[in-house]
Amino acid sequence: MRGVRVVFVVYLAVIVLGIAYISALGLMGR
Amino acid sequence: MSTREKEYGFLRSNALSLVFGGLFLATLGGQALSGQADVNAQQTANGLEPVSLLDYVTSSSFGVDVMENWQSEYLQFFLFIFATVWVVQRGSSESKKPGEEGTETDEEQRVGRYATKDSPAWARAGGWRTALFSRSLGLLMGALFLLTWAASSVAGWAAFNTEQLAERQDPVSWVGYLGEADFWNRSFQNWQSEMLAVGSMAIFAVFLRQRGSPESKPVGVAHDVTGQTG
Repeated sequence: MRGVRVVFVVYLAVIVLGIAYISALGLMGR
Repeated sequence: MSTREKEYGFLRSNALSLVFGGLFLATLGGQALSGQADVNAQQTANGLEPVSLLDYVTSSSFGVDVMENWQSEYLQFFLFIFATVWVVQRGSSESKKPGEEGTETDEEQRVGRYATKDSPAWARAGGWRTALFSRSLGLLMGALFLLTWAASSVAGWAAFNTEQLAERQDPVSWVGYLGEADFWNRSFQNWQSEMLAVGSMAIFAVFLRQRGSPESKPVGVAHDVTGQTG
């Protein structure tokens, strides 16, 4: 199950980083 | 783990998530390239300089197009997860059986003293940990919906103001943007498609089959049997 947990964490990280990145673009007024 | 599960390596064990993760990246790339081409067609028509791919993918106009779709997907899953606890569709593989509505007993859910030896620790723990873990999938989807919707409002606000300035009109505040038709039109146009997709899947799965798919009932199962997957 260790590999499966890695995929779970990568998915969550990509989603959270995507949200943070696009929020930052908006906040910087780009 | 069931003794019938085959011993697979990393790639085959995670093939479903990895295939869709790869498709996500490929289609996001497609969105970036086609979005840049679309913007540049307009730039050329207006006699302006074209934008580079880097400029485009670091623009809030690209950002809001990505986030407005994400938010509606997480809203869909959040609503579907919660609605299927409480309401049923007779004959659907996506539904529980009529009469099983609600959060069910601790015994049925194998929590607290009914936990088995391989139950997750927080299913056995009781108290706030079991209460939280019992709702963790819906809570995560709901939280991701709120975060992606907030991100779409922030990116949409910046993109909206860029347009306002290009048209020599006054920029609006973020709160002001939440009252703009642009924000609600972007939200509703994505929500409506998700609601239709969920409703279609729930009802189509009553009378139609896909052999071998866990999203479908087994081909030979009667139309009025609810909740069985194969």
